[in-house]
Amino acid sequence: MPLIKIDDKEIEVEKGITVLQAAIDERIEIPYYCYHPALSIVGSCRMCLVEIEGMPKLQVSCNTTIGELPPERKKDGKYDMIVRTQTEIVKRERENVLEFLLLNHPLDCPVCDQAGECYLQDYSYKYGRAHSRFLEEKRVRKNEYLGSNVIINHNRCIMCTRCVRFTREISGTNELFVQARGDVSKISIFEDKSLDNMLAGNVIDICPVGALLSTDYIHKNRFWNLEAKKSICTDCSVGCNILVYSQNNRIYRLNARENHNVNGYFICDIGRYGFHRYEDAEKVTSPLIRSDGGFKPISWEGALKEIYEQFSMSMSGEKQQIVGIASPFHTNESLFMFGRLMNNIFKDKSIIGKLPFIEDYEIHFDSGFRISKDRSPNRKGLLDFCPNLEDEILQKVKAGEVRLCYALDDGVDRKLDEEWESFFKSQRFLVVQTYAMTPLAKLAHLILLGPSPMEREGTMTNDQGRIQWLNPSVSLTNKTRPDWEIIMEFMNTVGKRELKYTSVNEVNLEMGERFPDYRGRTFFKIGYQGLPKKNITTSRPSEGRQAIQ
Amino acid sequence: MATVVTSYEPTFWDKLYIPALFQGLMLTLKHMFKKKVTIQYPDEKHVPPEGYRGLHRLNKYPDGRIRCVACEMCAAACPAHCIHIVPGPSPWEEGKERYPVRFDIDLLRCIFCGFCEMACPEKAIELTEIYDFADYSREGLWIDKAGLLEIYELTKDKNFYDNSNEE
Amino acid sequence: MDLIDFIIICIKVVLVFAATMLAVMGMIYAERRISAFIQNRLGPNRVGPKGLFQPLADGLKFLMKEDIIPTAVNKPLYLLAPAMLLIPALMTFAVIPFGSSLTLFGRQISLQVANINIGVLYILALTSVGVYGIVLAGWSSNSKYPLLGGLRSSAQLISYELSMGLAIVAIVLMTGSLRLNDIVSSQQGHLFSWYVFKQPLAFLIFLIAVYAETNRLPFDLAEAEQELVGGYHTEYSSMKFAMFFMAEYANMITAAAFTVTLFFGGWDIPFVDEAAMGNWGALLSGIAFILKTAFFLFLYIWVRWTFPRFRYDQLMNLGWKVMLPLALLNIFITGGILTIIS
Ligand code: SF4
Ligand code: SF4
Ligand code: SF4
Ligand code: FES
Repeated sequence: MPLIKIDDKEIEVEKGITVLQAAIDERIEIPYYCYHPALSIVGSCRMCLVEIEGMPKLQVSCNTTIGELPPERKKDGKYDMIVRTQTEIVKRERENVLEFLLLNHPLDCPVCDQAGECYLQDYSYKYGRAHSRFLEEKRVRKNEYLGSNVIINHNRCIMCTRCVRFTREISGTNELFVQARGDVSKISIFEDKSLDNMLAGNVIDICPVGALLSTDYIHKNRFWNLEAKKSICTDCSVGCNILVYSQNNRIYRLNARENHNVNGYFICDIGRYGFHRYEDAEKVTSPLIRSDGGFKPISWEGALKEIYEQFSMSMSGEKQQIVGIASPFHTNESLFMFGRLMNNIFKDKSIIGKLPFIEDYEIHFDSGFRISKDRSPNRKGLLDFCPNLEDEILQKVKAGEVRLCYALDDGVDRKLDEEWESFFKSQRFLVVQTYAMTPLAKLAHLILLGPSPMEREGTMTNDQGRIQWLNPSVSLTNKTRPDWEIIMEFMNTVGKRELKYTSVNEVNLEMGERFPDYRGRTFFKIGYQGLPKKNITTSRPSEGRQAIQ
Repeated sequence: MATVVTSYEPTFWDKLYIPALFQGLMLTLKHMFKKKVTIQYPDEKHVPPEGYRGLHRLNKYPDGRIRCVACEMCAAACPAHCIHIVPGPSPWEEGKERYPVRFDIDLLRCIFCGFCEMACPEKAIELTEIYDFADYSREGLWIDKAGLLEIYELTKDKNFYDNSNEE
Repeated sequence: MDLIDFIIICIKVVLVFAATMLAVMGMIYAERRISAFIQNRLGPNRVGPKGLFQPLADGLKFLMKEDIIPTAVNKPLYLLAPAMLLIPALMTFAVIPFGSSLTLFGRQISLQVANINIGVLYILALTSVGVYGIVLAGWSSNSKYPLLGGLRSSAQLISYELSMGLAIVAIVLMTGSLRLNDIVSSQQGHLFSWYVFKQPLAFLIFLIAVYAETNRLPFDLAEAEQELVGGYHTEYSSMKFAMFFMAEYANMITAAAFTVTLFFGGWDIPFVDEAAMGNWGALLSGIAFILKTAFFLFLYIWVRWTFPRFRYDQLMNLGWKVMLPLALLNIFITGGILTIIS
């Protein structure tokens, strides 16, 4: 293993990694723009210049690999390389590089969406010079659409080509390229092929400046107003790690969050813009009960009383049957409680079903990025906690039986076909737990107000068996109660239990007690990166390098 | 080196206090005939000096565009958190592409520190000399974009209280 | 005394009462305006011409205000106190001669409500009764600050009444009479027959004591706003408060008139023989009296807005250690000189 010295720090590194990587791993700051751990190295921005002993000129640290020297040529008798990042000349060169990068830069930070998270701002402040000596007119270009969701502001672009490399190496779609040379060069698309692949939104994330902008977020807010919550995406069973940015309980944007065991550095556009689906949905604001064709609000106490009257009767009646409709969109904790309710309280009177799984085509990118065929986030968890799930519930439940149904609703964009609709319509009493007036909710006799996907808290098990933390990004509204709590009340009312969980953590602990796969998978332990289920010994090894930017 | 401080020893004359009393009386008598400083407020108005920090305004360019680009620097700088901005794309072809769709200031919270003015990179928000904007309701002291622009029209050419070049 | 005399006295009483009340109003206005002027302000100038009706507006305001009687007060005394203060203040004026005599329809009418032979004693007695109002108000309010105010006031009164009485004794020694008319007539003639020139020390002591008597700054310890909120009248509101207010000013007017009578020749105009000028003389003398009194009233205000309040121990020191010995000394000297002369 080569031993190198960066400034005053002695570091032993793997052979073949670059100086910049070694520095990042050791948390020594070297400014950089064009380097991205997921992309190939081009060394075009020159920001990462460092002084290396024995080399006549400054070197770009992102593209200088570390090798092993023969013993007699070791520097100072033991080092394979001596790097200096803070010398006068390095500082001066950084100033010069920044001055060049800013030559045609408009410096319109007040207008720029990147302001606050812009590395050009940060590095200019830290390493740059306060004044520009550029007297000529700046080159000014108009903004252009690169794809339906991406706008480019050419003036702000620093030609690091991260976006170009992304479309070549990660999405493999090759839409972007650098047009022309010198100061007229710019990032372009071909006329017939706009930047509209499933990963297009990531170029906005990886652009170190405010050149690539999202049509979805442009001029909407400022970075420092937003609160970032580490959570996971619930739009497919991969469970990509995301950052949810919100202000005053309104979500403004989603960004990818690094997790090398799940999604690497990126997320797909389905998840990125997915949160909009919940915005326009017709929200339910209180528990509702059907009355004369419509719904009227009812208190939680009233709703529970109603449930008691309907369901405890069925406990004694002979021919009645309880149908539970579980959902793969709910958290492990909710499904665990649901399973308990059905199997332990209604016992053999109950039958658990689910709406058909949502499936779509599977998308694989050569880079390894994957969008799963299974577009429900927690199918694994559902099967774990409701092992007696009937796949063909419609066939199992015979017509004419007296039935009561308790359904956890899926999502706003779920359509019900004829068969399902008549199935639900034939229920004697249908309780639906939902947050929006979905087609299913419209058929209900009683609607219980649960949280929306952005309000849910709990764990989810992705298709690799990895348990991850679904962190609520907006807080619960007035009358909403967490799913697990509603089911707990259901159990207490109908089954005369005395469960008193006060938080989702307690449910999670209880779940670990009863399901060995989940033992010890507390929120504290799984953290923001998640942990595999107990019986899965290997998951994909972490392979990516950490990125600061 | 020690300094010797000799305290003033009152003389007999001083101790009588009578002359001192007369001095005092004379002083107040003199003031009785001095020019009065009272400004009879609703009739006469105090004209604040340059740089007075009163009601805010939003500046415009000569062609009518709003200078503000909704960067929210002022909102970030404001210690009272009383500036509320909703940004959006600007309706003008020329100039900056961003502008405030809404720009509200809660004057009841504002402490008129002028930090917003200092923070503004576009010289868009400014405190004017207007000080008498009391109102009967809380809502009335929530000034919006239209209100701020109106204040600009009122104060752009002259001191709001200076009537010298009128009539 | 026949009916006409009785009617005349009634008319005089009404006139004097009306004049005092008017003067009170004038004083309220003057106090506010002059204090404003001293502070380079304008003062009330909105109600009526130059703000002259301000006292009326004040009065109206007091009338409209809610009359609050706190639950814990001793009600009869609480209600009595303002009257106890105001009535003696107004009564004092009865013995003060405010002009030489008038001859109407062949009748000689002296410009004085009651010409009694112990006028000086009468005044001293009534001013002492006045302090009962303050003490009662302080005590019956059943509250800390008023009680403190009342206590201070009574202590202050005892200390200063002594010096004041002794200062007057010097005058009485010279006049040989307690009748105020006699005191005035003994000052007739030229300017230096005024007692202020014959008895400067007595005048000084009397003046200071009178300020203390009337609870005016720099001796207003009984109401000291900064320490006692409002002193003895803290718990009073509305018209009852106004009565205290009026009493204070009425007291001032009486005190000023008394000062003029004792030391400044009363209604006398120096070098003028008012009696010889008949009714015109009476009129002139009346005006002279009013002007002199007005000056002293002005002095009250002037002093109030010039000097700060005494500390309590200073007040007592001044009263007992300076003024009392001086007053005694003054009597000895006066007595000595008088003995030698006679
Ligand atoms: S890219 Fe960065 S430096 Fe350039 S305008 Fe935007 S925020 Fe400012
Ligand atoms: S003057 Fe100060 S408190 Fe008022 S809006 Fe500006 S920054 Fe905020
Ligand atoms: S007033 Fe100035 S600081 Fe505030 S948002 Fe507008 S441009 Fe930015
Ligand atoms: S040249 Fe090294 S990061 Fe851009």
